[in-house]
Amino acid sequence: MRSPRPIHALTAIGGLLLLAGCGGGGFAGGSQAQQSEGGQVTVRMLVNITPNLTQAYWDGLVKPFEQANPGIDVKIEAPTGKGVADTLPQQLAAGNAPDVVETLTADETLSKQMLDLTDQPWAKDTPLVKEASLNGRVYTVGVGVQAQSLVFYNKATFDKAGIDRPPTTLDEFDTVMGKLKAAGTLPLQTGGEFLTGLQLLQLSSPSRAQAHPTWQQDIKAGKLKAGESLLPFLERYLTWIDKGYVDKNALGMKYADAETAFLSGKSAMYVMGSWFTAAEAKAKKDFEVGVFPAPVDKGLRYPGPQGATMAAPYMILKSTPQKDAAVKLVRWLVTDPAAVKSQLKQDGNFRSGVEREFTPLEKQVQEILDTAPSGVPQGEGYGDATLPKSFNAAWNTEVQGLYVGKSPKEVAEGVDRWLAGRK
Amino acid sequence: MTLTREAPLVTTPVVRRKPRTRDGWVTAIMVAPATVLYIVMLIVPVGLALYLSLTDWDGFSANPAFVGAANYVNLLDDPELRRAALVTLLVAAAGTAGLNLLGLGFALLVNGVSRANTFFRIVLFYPHVLSALVVGFLWSAILGTTGAVNNLVTTWGGEVLPFLSDPTWATITMIAVLVWAGFGVNVVLYLAGLQAVPHSLIEAARIDGATRLQVFRNVTLPALGPSVTVNIVLSLVTLLKTYDLVVSLTAGGPAGQTQTVAYLILWNSFHDARLGFGSAQSVLLMLVTAALAFVVTRLRRRGELAVHQ
Repeated sequence: MRSPRPIHALTAIGGLLLLAGCGGGGFAGGSQAQQSEGGQVTVRMLVNITPNLTQAYWDGLVKPFEQANPGIDVKIEAPTGKGVADTLPQQLAAGNAPDVVETLTADETLSKQMLDLTDQPWAKDTPLVKEASLNGRVYTVGVGVQAQSLVFYNKATFDKAGIDRPPTTLDEFDTVMGKLKAAGTLPLQTGGEFLTGLQLLQLSSPSRAQAHPTWQQDIKAGKLKAGESLLPFLERYLTWIDKGYVDKNALGMKYADAETAFLSGKSAMYVMGSWFTAAEAKAKKDFEVGVFPAPVDKGLRYPGPQGATMAAPYMILKSTPQKDAAVKLVRWLVTDPAAVKSQLKQDGNFRSGVEREFTPLEKQVQEILDTAPSGVPQGEGYGDATLPKSFNAAWNTEVQGLYVGKSPKEVAEGVDRWLAGRK
Repeated sequence: MTLTREAPLVTTPVVRRKPRTRDGWVTAIMVAPATVLYIVMLIVPVGLALYLSLTDWDGFSANPAFVGAANYVNLLDDPELRRAALVTLLVAAAGTAGLNLLGLGFALLVNGVSRANTFFRIVLFYPHVLSALVVGFLWSAILGTTGAVNNLVTTWGGEVLPFLSDPTWATITMIAVLVWAGFGVNVVLYLAGLQAVPHSLIEAARIDGATRLQVFRNVTLPALGPSVTVNIVLSLVTLLKTYDLVVSLTAGGPAGQTQTVAYLILWNSFHDARLGFGSAQSVLLMLVTAALAFVVTRLRRRGELAVHQ
């Protein structure tokens, strides 16, 4: 009697091989840029989708490029995971990597998969290109700069509390918050998700950069402990929670809700990056919003170095079969005056030498950027000044611990323990 | 002497039909799709996860290095995992109890055949149709610090209720929302079980003078034994993998206090670029889930057998 089992096994293996043949896979991370018979090339670009940067915006942005280059079709792809950072590794693992990726900046892990743009002459004049380079090699090019260490404030609440000028030191900042609280306003708007930790990094950057100019490098080299070096800021933050300068239930608010709360006049100050100017311009409100650089510790230079990150960073996957078309697209995105202006305006970003229509608030931010002594990496950082992946998230989780009973020392130790575990 | 002649044994000849080759091929073709699906969707991913758990793959590099059991050793020393495991077990235990109590309760309420019951069955099942992400965003808009409920509370002069800002409240809120979103399935499963309870048994008990509660305890519930087992195991396995609701409702906060193991696996694997470590966590979760499902099934089966005896 002939057993049918071998037939089952063969059928199964055949089916598997068939499926394996249909899909990509493995660790190769091959790209699937397509080229049709007519010579039309498709460049796939993975982008960040936000309330400012919608799918429709991206499609419209690249249309002039497609018209000027009839042989190239740009396919905008939204993240399928939580964001670009989660989606890219999934696509690489599936052998379905895009040709161009927006939002991420190269670190030691990512740079191995990215095209080296060091020899591209146009890349040299893009914003923060030197700061974002790794061991002198350029993998990431950007459109502009995002100022990080800004405090936006509701001018009406300042007037009501009798505050005639924004604070320049952190001690003055405390005094101002006391006056605002006494006047019946919530002094500082914060929220849950990633916002809690981000704001403290933004606020501390100008002081931290003066005390430890090579903070990220020193931590990487084991010369400095991140949590320990930021302990004074954690101690100060806890006093703000205790005194009611921030809402003790803030962790129950999402980022968007916190922004809405400030824009609807429920709080007096909001620490945020320059991209907030885009949301402010769209919001209907009956008060004026002003902005000042984050205050610094007593005795330090004010304004201090401004926390700065690359706006709309682009990288090209090394595996792309459409290298020329991808390079052409990225070059256009970061150097074409109309494309640059459009991206800067859409997400409230800045670039020296690029004139565009500014709102009054954007004008103030540009002035802050012009007067800042330098732009410094913040938190996780970029380029050679990069801490292990997810540092910002770990920092955020620990900082939120201040709201649920942890002491500043415990928080600082938690941050340092996390970093020690990533070495 | 009487000679008795033994009657010859009459045996029915066993006709052994030789299976034909064609039958084998037909069987193979019929079984092949399911076998291929099972291998591709289950065996291959599990095998791949096992392999990756022994490497330091970051999700990007072409050649992950073999690190042996290092990832598993690191699991033992990971405070985040310990915290997430406790949260997950709490969610699974409390959630399973909630899903089954509500599921059985509402199934008993809408068991009869009437238009109203049909309507209520649809209403009860409806939350399950929604994506967990949508459910999370919906409830965060209702229960958040500036959400609908707290707006009402503060308008009436009350203090903000920390549904999502206090770790204990946030965990309870998450379990409650999980139960709200999922108990419709349990209602359907229990309804199917209730339809199978013989009416003759219930009628006999009533004729014997049993009260409604006595009928439920001594007739309906024992007859529902297999349904209870299925419901408990399904609820438990589903809740041990809770992920998407955490993302949309609490984002793991406050202070990481509502992170579940599945949330941590996805975070470590893709956000933290530690796919090898994340794979080790997922292998552990798979083993724990399988073990718990096995133990519950055995215990339930033992209980059911005791009832039948």
